Amino acid sequence: MPPIIDEDKCNGCGKCVEICPNDVFFGSQRGEVPKVTYPDQCWHENACVHDCPKEAIKLRIPLPMMIIYK
Amino acid sequence: MELEKKQCDILCVGGGIAGLMAAIQASESGAKVMVAEKANTLRSGMGGMGNDHFQCYIPEVHGDFDFFWKELFYGQLVGTLQKMGREYVRYWFENTFDIVKLWDKWGIPMKYEGKYEFAGHGFPGKQLNHLKYSGINQKPVLTKQALSRGVEILNRVMVFDLLKGKDGSIIGALGISTREDKLIVFEARGVVLGTGGCGGIYPSVTVGANNNRGHPLSVSGDGRAMAYRAGVELVDLELTGRHAGPKYFYRVGQATWVGVLRDRLGKPIGPYLTKPDRQYHDMTIEVNKGIFEEYKNSGKGPIYMDMNGISKQDLEYMVHWLKNEGNMGLLNSLQEEGLDLGKLAIEFQTSDLSVRGGIVANHRGETSVNGLYAAGDEVWGTISHAAVFGRSAGENAANYVTKVKAVDVEAEKKTAIEAKKAQLEEIRARKDGPTWSEASFALQQIMLDYCGQVRSENLLGAGLDIVGRLKKKASSGLMAENAHDLVFCLQTLNLIDIGESVLTSAYDRKETRGLHVRVDYTLTDPLLNNKLHLVKLVEGQPTTTWIEVE
Repeated sequence: MPPIIDEDKCNGCGKCVEICPNDVFFGSQRGEVPKVTYPDQCWHENACVHDCPKEAIKLRIPLPMMIIYK
Repeated sequence: MELEKKQCDILCVGGGIAGLMAAIQASESGAKVMVAEKANTLRSGMGGMGNDHFQCYIPEVHGDFDFFWKELFYGQLVGTLQKMGREYVRYWFENTFDIVKLWDKWGIPMKYEGKYEFAGHGFPGKQLNHLKYSGINQKPVLTKQALSRGVEILNRVMVFDLLKGKDGSIIGALGISTREDKLIVFEARGVVLGTGGCGGIYPSVTVGANNNRGHPLSVSGDGRAMAYRAGVELVDLELTGRHAGPKYFYRVGQATWVGVLRDRLGKPIGPYLTKPDRQYHDMTIEVNKGIFEEYKNSGKGPIYMDMNGISKQDLEYMVHWLKNEGNMGLLNSLQEEGLDLGKLAIEFQTSDLSVRGGIVANHRGETSVNGLYAAGDEVWGTISHAAVFGRSAGENAANYVTKVKAVDVEAEKKTAIEAKKAQLEEIRARKDGPTWSEASFALQQIMLDYCGQVRSENLLGAGLDIVGRLKKKASSGLMAENAHDLVFCLQTLNLIDIGESVLTSAYDRKETRGLHVRVDYTLTDPLLNNKLHLVKLVEGQPTTTWIEVE
């Protein structure tokens, strides 16, 4: 479940933990790779992906939210 | 649970567009201002990842105001505009251009390729009033402006109740930290509510994805609920709405899509477009947001937002605005799947039911409680509305606080504060009991079954009984494992209060109007066309009244 953090790229700056509107990284400490404590509460607005200075985060869209097209 | 006291002249609850604009203006007017934001003002709320359209009047584009005014009453907001009343709407549009200039100066690009660009939300041939703007960084910009004026921003603080003095005016508010067990007592002579919309009352659009909504669960009607408990009127809560957007990755912002709505065989479903038009878009969706649901239920099948036929230039144009309208997650997902948006027909769906009605406040932001102001989606919707009335509320609150004395809130409300602290500690201490999500799902189920798309006295009466039982169980039994869960518990209790007031209002509106379909009162009563339906707590009981639109 989203978001997915690339541990090799992440420098533990804590930006995503600071800004996540839904606080899905609750309990994470600065200096460490954030833990995704509440993946179900992600709104997929992409704030963490967009603001990550290391481009270490991507979202995996859950299957019930798959985009339907013709 | 630790207790902390904070003192300011004006507390802005919610650091969205309305809250930050209020804070900026109040601070400029000389007040000591704090913003309490449940998340972080840099990215919180419905404007957190940007918006791309700002409804406004620009003299050099629109010419005569009276003509602009006449043309305004088309499109998806027409019903809302009529309910706002003329003075309110006039104030709104007489002040939008000031904000456009201000935001542009502050670093939110309000021009596209050097000029004011209007598109979307408009019928072919009619005047356009939605300015396209690049709002992806609007929240960092507004945050910077607030901080530079000395506003103190308290991120990760949820304000959940208002405190009134002996004379009934506001003297402060209560909040909690969302990260640690801490109760915060605010002493403030003015409070501006700007907590936004109201998600989470009805089930989401998809099974198994509770947060797949136009309004995320974190936008939970906190302002409405605390204002209601403080005795302020809420308006037209029962006139629930539905929006439309991409399926199943649901987002609002349908007017950013440049495509033609077509059925599975490729036939346009509406009369307005046969090929993508970047200026006017397909207005069929605004005439009837429910059309996707109707096609599904009747077996006519899916409806697609079909981008086939769009030029390369117009595709780039659309993608630029989708990025600014908070659709980056969706765009990235399409890209990862290797899909070419220009050749894609994405199915659209009608959204979950949502509560649209809000707090009754005038164009000065004043509510019926002295010292309490409200602005933004808390009152009515849209971005420019939040900006104009947030600023107005901030200015008027700043004037108000110069005329009233501060009250020692800890002394005056000692018993109430201690009782609230004890309640929060109980929720945190419980080892067994319903979680917030249980209570939330229970509420959604009750609201859908008893106050959904079919309504009657029998259903609504039963719904009121059941939501009353849920309220008792939730308020006496919820448990929270940590500060984060405690926030959700308080949000859910807020939503239950709003649910109760929605049911009360729906029970009392004995007519059918829009999505408020009463099978026992099937006619729309023309005598109610110009009336607002208010609900407020009187001696603990939800009570309804009607007033004329001014």
